[in-house]
Amino acid sequence: MSSKTRLILHDLRPGDAAAVLPAQSEECLLFAAYPAVRYCVGCYGCWTKTPGKCVIRDRGADMAGMMPKCGEFIILSRLVFGGLSPDIKAVMDRSIGFVLPFFRIVKGEMHHVPRVEHPPDLRYVFYGADMTEREKETAKALAKANSINLASGRSEIQFFPTFRDCKEVLK
Amino acid sequence: MKVAIINGSPKLRESASQLLAEAVQKKLGNQTECAICSPIGPEGSEILKKIEGANALVFVFPLYIDGLPSHLLRFLDESLQDISDKASGAMVYSIVNNGFFEGRQNAVAFEIMRNFADKAGLKWGQGIGVGGGGMLRSVGIGRGPLKKVGNTLDLLSKNIINARSAQNYTVDPDFPRALYIAVAHLSWRASARKNKVNSKQMLVKP
Ligand SMILES: Cc1cc2nc3c(=O)[nH]c(=O)nc-3n(C[C@H](O)[C@H](O)[C@H](O)COP(=O)(O)O)c2cc1C
Repeated sequence: MSSKTRLILHDLRPGDAAAVLPAQSEECLLFAAYPAVRYCVGCYGCWTKTPGKCVIRDRGADMAGMMPKCGEFIILSRLVFGGLSPDIKAVMDRSIGFVLPFFRIVKGEMHHVPRVEHPPDLRYVFYGADMTEREKETAKALAKANSINLASGRSEIQFFPTFRDCKEVLK
Repeated sequence: MKVAIINGSPKLRESASQLLAEAVQKKLGNQTECAICSPIGPEGSEILKKIEGANALVFVFPLYIDGLPSHLLRFLDESLQDISDKASGAMVYSIVNNGFFEGRQNAVAFEIMRNFADKAGLKWGQGIGVGGGGMLRSVGIGRGPLKKVGNTLDLLSKNIINARSAQNYTVDPDFPRALYIAVAHLSWRASARKNKVNSKQMLVKP
């Protein structure tokens, strides 16, 4: 895997994923957030027991180890209240072992020290019918905050009315 | 008046959120009927009953990656219609606490909660952000460096009782940030050591 590798975390159902996403390959890894992984219980075992990996044993524990191996990390999510969907959020919460528990100051605010030297660029692709302007603004603020927290150099955000409309930008 | 306080920490009773929830419950106690509940745990399935007929919903939760913990988000998403029916006309307040020092980092979570309120047809009341969450359980709300946190909850409680909307408000501990960070670093290392993980192992790369 190289920095050209893309990782797509998505919340599509299997049939929909096959219709919309590129095929899994060395350049493009896929991670299905559905069916839902278990939720983070806030134990911090990913920092103090098994550093870098969640202690809950299901496939949700694999994401933190995959993120550093890609150049671009793409999150394809239904827009829910201006943020990520519950399935996606369950995977993300389980992945904070991606950063270290230690802190540093970024732009005057406290944030985590990254675990890896080259965290991937972030791209959010949101889909959903009747998004409000307010929800879109929330999503933009979230993408910005997340990119600082996950120490990614760049973040991009795109909105589409249905997941089928995302196909082109994921090619 | 009926108030439902929803603890959105997956740690339930062992959480900073529980302390904040209890502090608010105490302030509202003699003027309202006020219970704390959660979408998970032994009484998780009772939550819709507990919020039925509430005039105010007060969500108290930890900030998780600039947003809501996934189990709370799932509850709001999957039970949107039920919440909207059972607590129709209720005001929605949120108290969000975070591990970083700056309470203002909870601002995106307020917006998510406000969008939820809009979707549920409920009225947004106020968001309160409490920074330096690591100190809440060790110091105690309203004491020493967390005096302002107590005062902030007083103001929030008045708003809840009067069914008032107010500007979101965030508060940091009265404590040097550099010291907060130094103590946190020590405590991460101490927790790891208890699990037989040394400082170098904590930094392992995947
Ligand atoms: C998965 C996860 C993600 C977190 N993300 C953030 C964050 O983005 N910003 C922050 O300041 N703290 C973050 N924290 C720290 C918690 O908000 C903090 O420890 C809080 O005090 C926990 O509250 P509780 O005891 O009520 O659960 C995160 C913690 C976990 C477990």
